[in-house]
Amino acid sequence: MASIPDDIFFATITEINQKLKAKEFSVQELTKAFSDRLERLGPTYNALALSLRKPAHREARDVDGDIKRERFRGALQGIPFGAKDLLSYAKYPTTWGARPYSGQVFDYTATSLTKLAKMGAILTGKLAMVELAGGPAYRYANASLTGPGLNPWDRTRWSGGSSSGSGIAVAAGLVTFALGSETSGSILTPSAFCGVTGLRPTYGLVSRHGAMGLSWTLDKIGPMCRSAEDCGLVLHEIAGADGQDPATAGKSFYYAPQFSRDLKFIRVGFAPVDFDEAAEPAARPDFAKALEIIRSLGVQVTEVKLPEFPYGPIISTIISSEAASIFEPLIKSGKVDELADPKQIAGLKAGLEIPATDYLKAMRIRSLIQSAFSDLLDDVDVLLAPSRFGPAPKITQPLDRPGSDRPMPAAPGLAALIPAGNLAGLPALSLPCGFADGMPIAIQLVGRPFTENTLLAIGRDFQARTDWHRRRPPMD
Amino acid sequence: MATIKLTRREVATALSASVVLRAQAPAPQLSQNPALSPDDELKAARDSNRQNSEQLAKFPLPMSTEPVVHFKA
Repeated sequence: MASIPDDIFFATITEINQKLKAKEFSVQELTKAFSDRLERLGPTYNALALSLRKPAHREARDVDGDIKRERFRGALQGIPFGAKDLLSYAKYPTTWGARPYSGQVFDYTATSLTKLAKMGAILTGKLAMVELAGGPAYRYANASLTGPGLNPWDRTRWSGGSSSGSGIAVAAGLVTFALGSETSGSILTPSAFCGVTGLRPTYGLVSRHGAMGLSWTLDKIGPMCRSAEDCGLVLHEIAGADGQDPATAGKSFYYAPQFSRDLKFIRVGFAPVDFDEAAEPAARPDFAKALEIIRSLGVQVTEVKLPEFPYGPIISTIISSEAASIFEPLIKSGKVDELADPKQIAGLKAGLEIPATDYLKAMRIRSLIQSAFSDLLDDVDVLLAPSRFGPAPKITQPLDRPGSDRPMPAAPGLAALIPAGNLAGLPALSLPCGFADGMPIAIQLVGRPFTENTLLAIGRDFQARTDWHRRRPPMD
Repeated sequence: MATIKLTRREVATALSASVVLRAQAPAPQLSQNPALSPDDELKAARDSNRQNSEQLAKFPLPMSTEPVVHFKA
């Protein structure tokens, strides 16, 4: 039996795929090694919701048979991955990270997982998450059935959420890639805090059939990986129309970096205040270097301003209203009180009282936001900003209060890019770009709808010139 | 939302999930900055929604601006 070298736990999809094809080890050996590691280390970071060792082993045996007969199904064949525990996997528990749903089992599998299984990817585990993907709001990192997501770079710090287990598992080499979900920041934040590459696809590009709904008009499923290249390979397989998700746009995604536009024709907009003032002081040197590397790619860099809208109140009103409608049975049954986070309990209850006129007003302003971003993205192709202005906070720090007394700059810059980009349904890519206080930091690229290939092309070139995405956390 | 009845094997699987839960790292001691009572939490959430409503009310909208959700016949 071939032993699996440690480097494989941190290898990219393409690297592992080549070794499987060269028969350096079998898919069963690889799956066993990853399952062992996930079960051993996952709980120490509160990253594991459920090990799927047995079904994974069965799948691995089938894929080995395919490879033996030289039936190659693509880059993901035989690659171990994990899924946020908000995606259903038939006949196994899907808890949504929340105690009231701890015994929940569905009889169908989420479309994104079915698509990956068809390509021979091996689901080795369900990964922890913030309860109900964060609901309207939460105050503490431990707002989860599995406890606070502990950051592999420093266990006294938070992993970010709500796709906490997905960020941890990729960073700690427990899976090669993971699926997460984003309503407003839930892929970008854990990707940035854990030092992995995360892609939030355009709204409607990836089916959400089988995923917990938090906000029908905002929810997206996306990959969290070791590199931009890996994000492209995973998105290639999970994107596409699905009759079981009425919000799918009916578009496919073909990862084709070789056909992306020459970067010298790409216009990148940014706000200097984000890098010079809004960023935490410890993060500024590496953010500045990242900006220089982006410039060195040959893109045209220009300054931009975000259209002025009350993004926070709008997205909060929409999420609170839709979440309260989705979880009305939970709220009215009283089981909502079993959730871990008091702020989330109260937010769900209060969401039932939001007037329909407020929800509709938020959705009407949202249509103006969409138009304003369409205009802005006529002038530039991509928006660039820090994913988060600083590194992960301590797990004991309340998340609804600022970590420091530092005054925010007078000019807003692109500080609201996460809610704004989500309201406009835009794709975003988070790229590790350095460290602050020994913790990873990242930049985000945001583009027009369905321009994931442009973001990935920039991400690929950025990662060809940097090695931040290759760094590994200190492991026991 | 279709949930199903569990077979004994599936119950065993579900229980193995709780084994995973027991193995998780213990929750840290949180700095409970004066912990709010459930009533105060609810009041704070309502206040937040009211502030959001006030912010939205300040934003003028022409009658022709429709919400982004569209009914398909």
